[in-house]
Amino acid sequence: MSDEQLRPAWSQAFMDVALLSLSVSGPLAQLSPEWAWGGSTGKGVRVAVVDSGIEHDHPALDSCVRGGVAVEYDEQAYMSHRIDPDPEPQDVSGHGTACAGIIHAIAPEAELYSVRVLGRDMRGRGIQFAAGLDWAIDNGMQVVNMSLSTSNQDYFALLHDLVDNAYFKNIPLVSAVNNIPAPSFPSLYSSVISVAAHAGKDPFTYYYNPNPPVEFGAPGIDVRVAWNNKQYITSTGNSFAAPHITGIVTLIRAKHPELTPFQIKTVLWACAENVQRMRV
Amino acid sequence: MTEELSNQNPSTQDSQLAEQLERLVRSIQASGHAVLPRSSDALLQSIVAAAARIFGAGAASIALIDEKKGTLDFKVAVGPGNTDVVGMSIPRDKGIAGYVAMTGQPIAVSNVEQDARFAQDFARSTGYMPRSILATPLLSNERVIGVMEVLDKIQAASFGLQDMELLGMFAHQAALAIDISQQFDRLGEALIYGLTRLADAETAVAMPDLLAALEKIKVEDPQGSDLLALADLFNQISQLGSAERRACLKVLAVFAEYGSAKAKFSRGGFGR
Repeated sequence: MSDEQLRPAWSQAFMDVALLSLSVSGPLAQLSPEWAWGGSTGKGVRVAVVDSGIEHDHPALDSCVRGGVAVEYDEQAYMSHRIDPDPEPQDVSGHGTACAGIIHAIAPEAELYSVRVLGRDMRGRGIQFAAGLDWAIDNGMQVVNMSLSTSNQDYFALLHDLVDNAYFKNIPLVSAVNNIPAPSFPSLYSSVISVAAHAGKDPFTYYYNPNPPVEFGAPGIDVRVAWNNKQYITSTGNSFAAPHITGIVTLIRAKHPELTPFQIKTVLWACAENVQRMRV
Repeated sequence: MTEELSNQNPSTQDSQLAEQLERLVRSIQASGHAVLPRSSDALLQSIVAAAARIFGAGAASIALIDEKKGTLDFKVAVGPGNTDVVGMSIPRDKGIAGYVAMTGQPIAVSNVEQDARFAQDFARSTGYMPRSILATPLLSNERVIGVMEVLDKIQAASFGLQDMELLGMFAHQAALAIDISQQFDRLGEALIYGLTRLADAETAVAMPDLLAALEKIKVEDPQGSDLLALADLFNQISQLGSAERRACLKVLAVFAEYGSAKAKFSRGGFGR
């Protein structure tokens, strides 16, 4: 194994001992959580959860799921996939439901859409993922949560293209970095908001890491999350950190619909717990 | 003796050679399919044992994906109920291991006993009820080939992110061990394939017995046949003139450079 393959431990940047205290001054110091999302409920913002589906009638979701699609691998179809409507989505594992529950708890009036890109057939994982993201970009989604990634190099360029497309269409993409010793896309691209886990519990407390590619740390350790069959489990993973940031981005988006992805990232940075806003 | 041999009918020589070859190839096949996986199982077993010890885990296991059956088959395990776990198959899309196999993302779950479904599934199949689970994918060439799990961190309620990152490295070792044993499997197949082609080629002496012997042990779908096709191409190229060879080399060099640059770009930026 070459050194190149040894990935740094992404979440270590968010451990207490490693956290860097940063500061912001000048006009950007005026940005505050109160300004950014105070009073917002995410009302009317369409959020796509690109994942294993969402159990739409899970009690944790209070009927916030408005529909969705299932991207299935299909060898006969153009580009080996087809997109089926999924008006009352279900979840093949529980993972997407967990992410949806976290987003809904933070942004209770946002409208959630399930983009299921996982299924029994694993041959088409990469193309299903890319097609699901493409669907979200082209179908009016305003924020996209991707607690998924691929390490398949074949999808590097395609995903890069899609991610740039989302960026130019003002759709913030929130991506969980994968905690495995391999690169994972699209979490490592600069135009996404990449998230790893920290040990805190407060859903609104997150940190900025000045040493990219992973820029934000949000709660993801021993989080009580919704799961399939109307159940809950306590789980750990960067997968659960990303939807915390997705929830906050949704609140910002609802309150300040004019902001672009790079402006939203700036707001997130200025409002991070380890960034001291100095009044000047 | 020499006299006798040279007077022998060429086809008799051929049949003796074929017989020897068949024995040889069969033993290579046997070592590929039986001996090496056994030694790689021992390696996998030692990896899960080491992982369990380092994480302070009550149990650990490795399950591999069977694409045809759509299952996760437990290959090695340590801890209580380990003999029941080995040989067990679960649907590839069920439970924590199924989730990891499906997504390629690691996950940790604590307070497992509070979740009726996982607890029941697990208890039913193994008679062992874990409190916490940490599961990570085994990746081979960026494809999920299996799942490694450690259960019940001793003296802690749950596995943390550092445990998750560390288990990823153990899983990488396990995946390498599996890769190596699969490559040995392919070595036998490649040899048979190569010999068949040789016997089949338009040589001065026909080797019908050899061909027949090889036919008997023929591999249906030699894996890595694209590599063999590449070797064939090299052979053809080597027979060309020196100018053609140089031109081919240039093309290949550019392609190799492109390939490594692609890998570098896609991994770039975080070389620290």
